[in-house]
Amino acid sequence: MSEQGRAPALLIVDDEPRILSALRRSLRREGWRILATTEPEEALRWLATERIGALLTDHKMRGCSGIELLDAAARVQPGAARFLITGWPDAIPQARLEAIGVRALIPKPWDDAALKALLRGALGS
Amino acid sequence: MRGGHGAEDSRPVRIVVAEPPAAAGAFEIGTERALRRLGADVEIEIAHDAIECLDRVQGWRPDLVVVDQRLGPDVGKILAELEPKGPPAIVVSREGAADAALESFSDGAADCVSAGPNFADVLPAVALEQIRNWRATRERERLQRKARVLRGTLENLVDAMESGLLVLDAGGRVTHANPAAERILDEPRGSLRGRSIVEWLPDGTPGLPQLARALVEGARVRGAEAVAVRGDGRYVPIGLSLAPLAAPDGQRQGSVAIFQDLSELKQLQRQVLQSEKMASIGQLAAGVAHEINNPMGFVHANLCQMEEYLADLRRLLEGAAVLAERVAGEAPPALCAAAADWRALRDELDAEFLLDDFAKAIRESIEGSERVRHIVQDLRSFAHRDDGEWVMADLNRCLDSTAHIVWTMMKHSVVLRKEYGSLPLLRCLPLQLEQVFMNLLVNAYQAIEQRVGERGGSGEIVLRTELADSELRITVSDDGVGIPPLHADRIFDPFFTTKEVGVGTGLGLSTSFDIVRRHGGAIGASARPGGGTVFEIRLPLEAPPGAALA
Repeated sequence: MSEQGRAPALLIVDDEPRILSALRRSLRREGWRILATTEPEEALRWLATERIGALLTDHKMRGCSGIELLDAAARVQPGAARFLITGWPDAIPQARLEAIGVRALIPKPWDDAALKALLRGALGS
Repeated sequence: MRGGHGAEDSRPVRIVVAEPPAAAGAFEIGTERALRRLGADVEIEIAHDAIECLDRVQGWRPDLVVVDQRLGPDVGKILAELEPKGPPAIVVSREGAADAALESFSDGAADCVSAGPNFADVLPAVALEQIRNWRATRERERLQRKARVLRGTLENLVDAMESGLLVLDAGGRVTHANPAAERILDEPRGSLRGRSIVEWLPDGTPGLPQLARALVEGARVRGAEAVAVRGDGRYVPIGLSLAPLAAPDGQRQGSVAIFQDLSELKQLQRQVLQSEKMASIGQLAAGVAHEINNPMGFVHANLCQMEEYLADLRRLLEGAAVLAERVAGEAPPALCAAAADWRALRDELDAEFLLDDFAKAIRESIEGSERVRHIVQDLRSFAHRDDGEWVMADLNRCLDSTAHIVWTMMKHSVVLRKEYGSLPLLRCLPLQLEQVFMNLLVNAYQAIEQRVGERGGSGEIVLRTELADSELRITVSDDGVGIPPLHADRIFDPFFTTKEVGVGTGLGLSTSFDIVRRHGGAIGASARPGGGTVFEIRLPLEAPPGAALA
């Protein structure tokens, strides 16, 4: 299948697999192509090979922080909307978020309706 | 005048001579001529009556007055008018007038010389002696005055000192104490004299033996830390220095002890320790909050998803019910039997209840997860209490969010009543005030727990806020065990606690006291009618000018 034939995907990264499956459940009916991984490295590979419409990532992960991943995404796929989802939102300085163009900081636990609305804005419904 | 010392002595000698005018035809005694023999630096002024003489004495300040007996009643006038501390007077009488001379002694004359063959030698000799005595007396008085002034200055200095000063004799007994010493040791004015310094140092004071030895040996002690027992029985931390004191002859006279009240310093040190402890607790709380949020993230999301799934399943089941109804009677018997079986199973399992209760269980779990989220949020704001900044804040909100944290631990035994008045925003350190509210709430809860443990029942905490007389009043009252009157005046002391070991640090109220004081306010405790305690905090709307800098 060619790159162009596919709709931009939603890339979700969190080192807690249960977060990934909960997010998949929430977003299943939106019809988006979802790429989900617990490994930031795999996410980086996807960023290099797939068309990503939106990136939703956790912050505190082994090996690579969400901020670092978003920073890399901004360079590789500047068109991908960037979202950070974290259980510790006040640990990240606002200035840092603005510097790398994070569209929204989503606290855990999240509100499903609000999350969907944000992602629809980035991926279309 | 030779061989004199000091400014007073180097001055020319001034003598007033009071005698009848020569033109009046009086016999010339030669008083002035005789006095001239005292030397070149002798100044003489002649007066002819009492008024003139006293006028000269007043304006010219002579060292000697020589009065001629022949002035008659004026002699008595002059002698009477000369001040006791004024210059000495010598009466010159005619030869053989001994009676008159004796009389002048009782009138106040310093000496008496009669005109005779040796007059020109005797008068200067007598005059010289009188002048020397007079000048010596005046010099002595001048030195005494100077010494008095010096002493007064020294005493003022010692009295004005912020440090306590004790002068001790060789036995370590107080011979002088300044007001600061009395204030720090809380002893009444003048009551320290004669007492030994060791009286204020309790047994077991670190370094007490060395201190006692230093007192005896006259050794120096610099900045030793000790604890003194005040007159009211309280302990006060002091920094003590001891230095030997020598008498003018070099003999050791005793020691001088200087000490400072270190209470405030110690309290600051404790506060630093305490805030460091709070900061690390805060870090821990923030870390825990993060760890909780991750699992709560998927639990909450899954529950919400389950609610949606359940709604779908309900629709599916309703569809099946419609199908089963339609099938009844019209379909082949085998299908009808299957539909009947399905209905029987549905009734047996009470599908209606199942769906309803399933929904209820999910709803309640979602509420539970919301509550956890709230607790974590409170923990997070607790973690950031060290970011103390002066901001405009709503104290009702501060009090409420703090109460929410404490509430989770006390809700099984305590009813919380909130009587919030309408409050304007207050310029304050909200995180610090929240710490105060937290302390008061935990105290109230523990007081109730203690009473419930002893006598059973449950308790009530009332939170009340109001604006009155330009100040915010916040009261926290409980119906717990209450504060024994014996302890009432000590509860704000650092490290004072009635709680069991491990329950309280004794710092909560002392820290609260300091925080409220930083806001220019006051905190006090009183007994609640019917048992328990009422804590009241008053915070002025206009904080003192220093508050922002404190």
